[in-house]
Amino acid sequence: MIRTLGSLIILLALGAVAAAVIPDLQMHEELQETGYAYASRGMDDTGSSNLVTAVIVAYRGLDTLGEVVVLFCASTAVVLILTLYPIGLKASEPSRIVAFTAKILPAPILLFGVYFIAHSHISPGGGFPGGTVIASAFLLVMLGSSSVPDGRGRLPAIESLAGLSFGLLGFWGIMTVGQFLNNAFLGTGTPGTLVSAGLIPLISIAIGAKVASEFSGVFKAFRNTGGKI
Amino acid sequence: MSTAFYWSVAGTAAGLILIGLWGVLTRKHILRIALAFTLADTGANLLLVWSGYLPGRTAPIVDGNIPASEVTSAVVDPLPQAMVLTSIVIGVAVAALFVVVGVLASRRIGSADVRRMKELKW
Repeated sequence: MIRTLGSLIILLALGAVAAAVIPDLQMHEELQETGYAYASRGMDDTGSSNLVTAVIVAYRGLDTLGEVVVLFCASTAVVLILTLYPIGLKASEPSRIVAFTAKILPAPILLFGVYFIAHSHISPGGGFPGGTVIASAFLLVMLGSSSVPDGRGRLPAIESLAGLSFGLLGFWGIMTVGQFLNNAFLGTGTPGTLVSAGLIPLISIAIGAKVASEFSGVFKAFRNTGGKI
Repeated sequence: MSTAFYWSVAGTAAGLILIGLWGVLTRKHILRIALAFTLADTGANLLLVWSGYLPGRTAPIVDGNIPASEVTSAVVDPLPQAMVLTSIVIGVAVAALFVVVGVLASRRIGSADVRRMKELKW
């Protein structure tokens, strides 16, 4: 009772703060300084039609590298915990609907994920959502089967290789023009075409492979919680 | 997007954060706490995307519909969207870790009730 009352008081205070602060954020009519710079120069600087991708991969590429490291740490922790302390749940038999869906849907989902990654600089998409889409296809395959994946597999190799290639692509910029993760030295090409935007598609592929293998590894670890088979 | 809708999105975002915090503070089942946590996470992301909205503009993707010379007056702010993409990915990673630790703790204690997780109290 006291706990509920205390929570209510905390939430009312927070709600009052939100109600006081949010109306002060008046609707702008024009882009603010940073957003204006990205919008006005983004396409010329990077050759990417998708300005969000230009910000993530080119302008703030170093932050994205850090984000990939954060994701790596979290997925490693999940897999490590589930390997060291098996929860002991056995995979159950899938229902007929799931089993049937898992036979036909993964291929289109995979294709969609690859499209997402390959077109990250042209249309909405990118390495992170595309990688997640690909991992969801593998999750569906796992859910549609009553067997449990064993410990073998090349997921860690793909993951390491993708992370390494992200870093090496950054160093490629140091070697050529003396700037880490420089995007433009490959030439920005014609914006809107598949082979354009310099390094952005390559980095997107690296991010996509890394995210896909990481999430697949996490799903696999969750699936394989019964310990050694 | 009308002004009323604009503010209702902000209200929804703030509401999601508050509902999520309410769940974290009052729920007893550890997985429900994890769910409430991701709800608050979603609200924070929505608030960030909302803050980059500009009236009458489109997504920050320069395609045939936007002349290259009028980009700055045709698109919304790309920066909050890029940040939210980062935030979503980190949110998923944290949620996965949350669930694993929660399931492990509930297995060890034999119950998912946080009131019985005395080891975590000081």
